[in-house]
Amino acid sequence: MTSSSTRTITFRIQRYDPDKDTAPHWDTRQLAVSEGMTVLEALHELKHEQDPTLAWRSSCRMGICGSCGMFINDKPQLACQTQVLHLGTEVVSVAPLPNYPNVKDLVPDLEPLFHKHAAVKPQLIPAGNLADEVPTGEFLQSPEQREEFGQFSICIKCGLCMSACPTLATDLDFLGPQPLAQAYRYTADSRDAGLHERLEHIDALHGPFQCHLAGACTDACPKGVDPAMGIQLLKRTLTLDALGLRRARPAPQIVPLPTEFKPSEKIPQPPPRTAK
Amino acid sequence: MSANVKQAAAPKPRPNQLGLKGWVYAGRYSIERYLYILHRLSGLGLIAYLLLHIVETGQRLAGEAAWTGLMAMFEAPLFKVLEYVVFAGFIFHGLNGIRLHFTELGFFLGKPAQPIYPYRSSVKRHRPFTFVLMGLAALLLILGASSFFFS
Amino acid sequence: MRETRLWFLSLTCTSLIIVLLGLHFAIMHYAPVFTGQTIEEARSFQVMLERGRDVAQFVVYILFLAAALYHGLYSLRGIIIELPVARGRARLVGRGLLLIGLVFFAYGTYVTWWTFATK
Repeated sequence: MTSSSTRTITFRIQRYDPDKDTAPHWDTRQLAVSEGMTVLEALHELKHEQDPTLAWRSSCRMGICGSCGMFINDKPQLACQTQVLHLGTEVVSVAPLPNYPNVKDLVPDLEPLFHKHAAVKPQLIPAGNLADEVPTGEFLQSPEQREEFGQFSICIKCGLCMSACPTLATDLDFLGPQPLAQAYRYTADSRDAGLHERLEHIDALHGPFQCHLAGACTDACPKGVDPAMGIQLLKRTLTLDALGLRRARPAPQIVPLPTEFKPSEKIPQPPPRTAK
Repeated sequence: MSANVKQAAAPKPRPNQLGLKGWVYAGRYSIERYLYILHRLSGLGLIAYLLLHIVETGQRLAGEAAWTGLMAMFEAPLFKVLEYVVFAGFIFHGLNGIRLHFTELGFFLGKPAQPIYPYRSSVKRHRPFTFVLMGLAALLLILGASSFFFS
Repeated sequence: MRETRLWFLSLTCTSLIIVLLGLHFAIMHYAPVFTGQTIEEARSFQVMLERGRDVAQFVVYILFLAAALYHGLYSLRGIIIELPVARGRARLVGRGLLLIGLVFFAYGTYVTWWTFATK
């Protein structure tokens, strides 16, 4: 993977081995970095060539699984989406995502994120009379209705926003940008009627009103979810509801599932089964 | 696995909060984070000033002589500077607060939409509003300075 | 909807404060422009009492005091509960700040009433 433009970059990596260390320390390593090399690739190279004990979490290496969130040059970023030379510094510092407990080296314990996410009931809660055990039909939703929450549904739960948030730096009980944006995603969904079921956490002391619009979460989000907008829209929803001004949403139309299936004649028949 | 082999309990992950550094260090984040820091600092200054001011204005109960003495003390240059600092704090806090008043109720943020590149986040979209208010703040601070110190 | 209402009340107070503090600044710092007095005159004991005997001034000052104290102390509560030391003590913080607010409001109201009622 060498090209004519290789530069030697110094990596300062925060290390912590729970079996040996009582506090984290920094490791300094040099690596020849070529154009296009990501921080994740650099870590693989360092682990392969220099220090096999280096630990981190990664998976897809293409910015969709959300596993490789790290604190790179003091900003939470996905290691697979951050090109080393684009950082523009001779020394690149890599640390585990802050505002989460640190398991080992660059591995954060994301349990606080999952716990808070689950607390806001991130599932559709249809109105009472529609909440059957087994849906009898499909909830209809127009493209405009889909647009109202669609942006927030592309969250990959990477947790970078939680590291960026200044409130979460000190307040362990604050829900955080991801759960609050997801609370809005479900509340704004035309198929949902569960705002009041979620109030226990979203109309609470450490709820959305502890967000002060620093905007760092939106800055850090690698997918463009814009959690800051989700949180302000959630505040708007809660305020309108508290003042009794929230517009009643019509219940979603249900289209019953077809009982007879007649495939179009234009679709060719499948070939005969060959498996025994 | 043999029943005699004891498996060591997994060590508890160590806490890794940014703490107060997360409040005051805005690094390479956008200006809204810097405005958050200034808003918090000016707010703390203003509440401290408010409580002191309530006590100070209550000194009128001690009579005219005490009041006149207090006002004379406030003529000192140090207090003139401090008064301007309070004024500046209020101007910034008030105008940034107007921005927050609207945006925290969902105004000027635009509508949710699929973030197709180049996507302008809601934070960037209300930036013109931010600049207008901060420009107004700068103007009022300059006018105020000329009124406080040069009139 | 308790937290939502507390927050929205704070927001409402800010609108009131912007207007009233603007007025307060105009009277105190721009006295020469608005009332023809010098600033020293505007702050003198007799002029201050004279101003305070006006009913509108009395009502406005009480409202202003309430709005400023509520917004300030509500926001301070928000800052304090974000600190690790306040974890698990939110009720204590809230009640403590409420007490401080009531004490200062009572004192400020008394001073304003005294000014209004003094002959």
